[in-house]
Amino acid sequence: MDDEKVLTRHLGAPGLTTVGGYEKVGGYQGLRKAIQMGPEAIVAEVKASGLRGRGGAAFPTGTKWGFLPKDVFPRYLCVNADESEPGCFKDRVLMEEFPHQLLEGVLIAAYALQVTHAFIYIRGEYRFQRELLERAAKEAYRAGYAGKGVLGTKWDCELIVHGGAGAYICGEETALLNSLEGRRGQPRLKPPFPAVKGLYGQPTVVNNVETLSNLPYIVTEGGARYAALGTEASPGTRLFCVSGHVERPGTFEVPMGKTTFRDLLELAGGVWRGRQFKAMQPGGGSMQVLGPQHLDVPLDFKAVAEAGSSLGAGALVVMDDSTCLVDVASRLVDFYRHESCGKCVPCREGTYFESELMHRLEAGIASRAELAELSDICANMEGRCFCPLGDTATWFVMSALRMFPEEFESHCGAGRCPVRAGSEVAA
Amino acid sequence: MADASTVAELVNISVDGRPVEVPPGTLVWDACEKAGIFVPVYCAHKKLEPVAVCRMCLVEVEGLPKLQPACATRVAPGMVVRTQTEQVRKFRDGNLEFLLLNHPLDCPVCDRGGECDLQDFTQRYGPGRARSSITEKVHFDKAVKLSDKIMLDQERCILCWRCVRYYEEITGEREIVLQERGVHTVVDSFERQPLQSQFQGNLPEICPVGALTHRQYRFRARPWDLRRTASVCSHCSYGCNIFVDAREEQIARYASNDNPEVDDSWLCDQGRYGFPELNRPERVINPEARVGGLRQAVSYQDAVARAAGALLRVRGDHGGTSVGVLGSPRMTNEEAFVLQWLAREVIATPHVDHRYEPLEGISPEQFRLGIAELEGCDAVVVIGDRPERLSPVLTLRLYKVANKLGRQILRVPETFSAAQVVKQLPAAGRIGIVAAQADRAAAMGLRAKAGSAGREAAVLTITEAVNSRGCQDLGLLPNVGPGYRSLEHSGLFGRQLLEAAVAGQIKALLVVGDGADFEAEGLFHEALAKVDVAVVVTAWQGVASRAATVLLPGRTIAEKAGTVTNTEGRVQRVRTAVEPKFTFPSDLRILGDLAAGLGSDLGVQALAAPVFELLAAAVPAYRGCQAGLRAHWEPGS
Repeated sequence: MDDEKVLTRHLGAPGLTTVGGYEKVGGYQGLRKAIQMGPEAIVAEVKASGLRGRGGAAFPTGTKWGFLPKDVFPRYLCVNADESEPGCFKDRVLMEEFPHQLLEGVLIAAYALQVTHAFIYIRGEYRFQRELLERAAKEAYRAGYAGKGVLGTKWDCELIVHGGAGAYICGEETALLNSLEGRRGQPRLKPPFPAVKGLYGQPTVVNNVETLSNLPYIVTEGGARYAALGTEASPGTRLFCVSGHVERPGTFEVPMGKTTFRDLLELAGGVWRGRQFKAMQPGGGSMQVLGPQHLDVPLDFKAVAEAGSSLGAGALVVMDDSTCLVDVASRLVDFYRHESCGKCVPCREGTYFESELMHRLEAGIASRAELAELSDICANMEGRCFCPLGDTATWFVMSALRMFPEEFESHCGAGRCPVRAGSEVAA
Repeated sequence: MADASTVAELVNISVDGRPVEVPPGTLVWDACEKAGIFVPVYCAHKKLEPVAVCRMCLVEVEGLPKLQPACATRVAPGMVVRTQTEQVRKFRDGNLEFLLLNHPLDCPVCDRGGECDLQDFTQRYGPGRARSSITEKVHFDKAVKLSDKIMLDQERCILCWRCVRYYEEITGEREIVLQERGVHTVVDSFERQPLQSQFQGNLPEICPVGALTHRQYRFRARPWDLRRTASVCSHCSYGCNIFVDAREEQIARYASNDNPEVDDSWLCDQGRYGFPELNRPERVINPEARVGGLRQAVSYQDAVARAAGALLRVRGDHGGTSVGVLGSPRMTNEEAFVLQWLAREVIATPHVDHRYEPLEGISPEQFRLGIAELEGCDAVVVIGDRPERLSPVLTLRLYKVANKLGRQILRVPETFSAAQVVKQLPAAGRIGIVAAQADRAAAMGLRAKAGSAGREAAVLTITEAVNSRGCQDLGLLPNVGPGYRSLEHSGLFGRQLLEAAVAGQIKALLVVGDGADFEAEGLFHEALAKVDVAVVVTAWQGVASRAATVLLPGRTIAEKAGTVTNTEGRVQRVRTAVEPKFTFPSDLRILGDLAAGLGSDLGVQALAAPVFELLAAAVPAYRGCQAGLRAHWEPGS
């Protein structure tokens, strides 16, 4: 595809991870322009771009910024780089390939929000990326883009890179704030929302890496131009991580709304080993499963929602016809059981209950009554938990059960996994 | 919470069709309670901030797609709440199923069996039986000795966080933490260090299940074996409200009985765990008298007649002033009042006291500030560490004032420069001064200095024993009469009185009460050996009981009924929580019978209430303050 790129437009340029290399392709011009524009004009430009959060909830970024109470200082910007969604690795690409583009975005946002301390909370397992970002931040300081008196102005901006300790829940913005403060990584009771009372009790904006990486383009090229790259309902471009049973897994930047799942699948070289497409999970491990009938759904928030799923954090896990959906569901539920922070009862105990039942089901030793029990447990979790983690622990299971009921039922009392047994025979 | 300054309009909401009017900002949970609708909770606690983790209180709020936690949702005008719908019912059932999934079935050996919220709510809302094929439970440590006082069973814990939040919000000590995550989450002391707090006993009480238990009470009783009596803790003068739970006429445990004005629902460990003192077996259980040089058991009537006769003889031979009367700060108000009356009006001696060391220069003004009024102060000065050593629960109130209300707490040494202290106070506003009674002069000096510097200051004096204040108010002192009335002739203070006895000037002693203030003093021993007559009314075997010429069995404070006055002047009821092992009359009745034997017919009744009326007639401040109110002392009195 030859569509205009935003995030990956400089891909392949030499030395991009250094200030010099980044400057050669026009790096930090956005920050210079932003400072000339002033905070209000930046916010207006971001609103015009229609940019929506890329962390999963897709909340309009400009609106989120607008929630900060006037005249309460200090306020903080936190960058959510705790990318841990199963099937998601786009922020990693952005940090590895374009660290200065991210830092420039962070500084633009910080300037727009009149923030003097921006924290980048990076996933604990991303050690190499953290070192890379720390190095990039040091360079930005030396080049005068960060620190005292940014670019000769009176505005100071400190960049703090902070590593997580290996918890999925810390991608939830209030858990992230807790972890950043040195507390136990668990979500906070809302309200108050972070915009009012966030990090250290001060007004705080938490934005995703990809969201902020768009800002240099939006500021230099204009919000309208960015928006026009996608459709009216789903403006701009977006990174999608395609993985699973495809020939060429990877991260692809595509225009929103104009691209379909089938296009993405083709970019990734199609289903591997000449096998048939069976199912896909858009949005990462949290989201509902979709089937072959949804391949032509455009990457548009509304269209995907109508299909019964969500674009989530921008991932696409493709499953071929040898896949056992019960097996996949079982593994995903194990993930949530492992990552449940333990704060609320339905998530803590529900994910445990769910995973124990899924193990029995996958092993073919569960009864049909237990299958009904599974649905019931999920119903007692969804919408009942403290934060969305508990909800998402049910979504794949429930959607797979709806879409492939026979597959689940065939496991009951089978003594083994019938799907895998069948594919073993075929092989 | 709405204070008087925000006369905001009330919000009307409906709970299960019942209209209810509450101040804005009220939690739905509280509104439900006001409407008379019970909503089950585990994590929520009246004294702690909401966390909404147990999800037990999820209710329907019209217009919102998801069930909402009643414990953390604030009311909005016109809100329609439903707590009894099928959706709510189904979730409660399911949530209890979740909780029971990894909960051990050891109710038969659990101390909380019978008073456990998990048992109760499962009975009321939960699944009747297990349906799951998942029988393997996640296992944790079942008997963690958190300290010499507290045992933790991690398997029984339902992770409501109350203990963690208690330490964060109420004491600030943070001794219990959450560890691990997901289904492996446990509470524990940090690195298994023993808990050091002096307020640990509150933990089992706020624990909704049997995870945290009192080691003192462990395996001692089942709740249905206990008889509960509302009373007052006798550890110090603070007057914390308690329930005394007794089994077979032995105290099994103390539990808190929330009085927001006094204890705010928290007890100190010294108070809570101190009751074995009252269960001691070294009791006086029979009236005895020295008959021909030999002590022997006599009938009650005989003992009273012998006591009265002996006192009359001494008075006849040497005059009333040759008799000394000693009480105890652990007597009730009624006993204290009657004893000072017996001394002054019947025996006609000015020598009456309830303590060993002299107490001079006291006035109600030194007790002007109430405990809860500390919360209304803009700054509080605490003189030395004596107040908190005397009354540990005061520490929690001060923490609340500093931490939750954000007021200044200024701790100064016992000797300080009032001028320097005043400089550190806010420029205006109300100042509270907290001092032990030993430091009352310094406190009053600071109050005067602050007053002349334009601050409104009041003093909270902390006295020593459970009814030290009552004994002072009612004039069980040689230098002031009831109501701090000045006297024409002062008598001798406790120690002087004993010295006079040793010197042979005091010929007879009437000792009433537990004697604890005197028992350790060598002088007491000497005085008792020296006097001709020693009439002793006491519960405990000791120096006094052994030396008595006439001995009458007294009652412990757990066996008494009457009132006591706490250090801020609040008159509170103590009730008979256990019966003594004998059936002889009460201490108050003994005093009445002695008075009658001495020829008085004032007719002191055995029952406390009429005596209280007599007492209130003599001390106007006590009028109408029976129901847990503070006695009203006119300013400057």
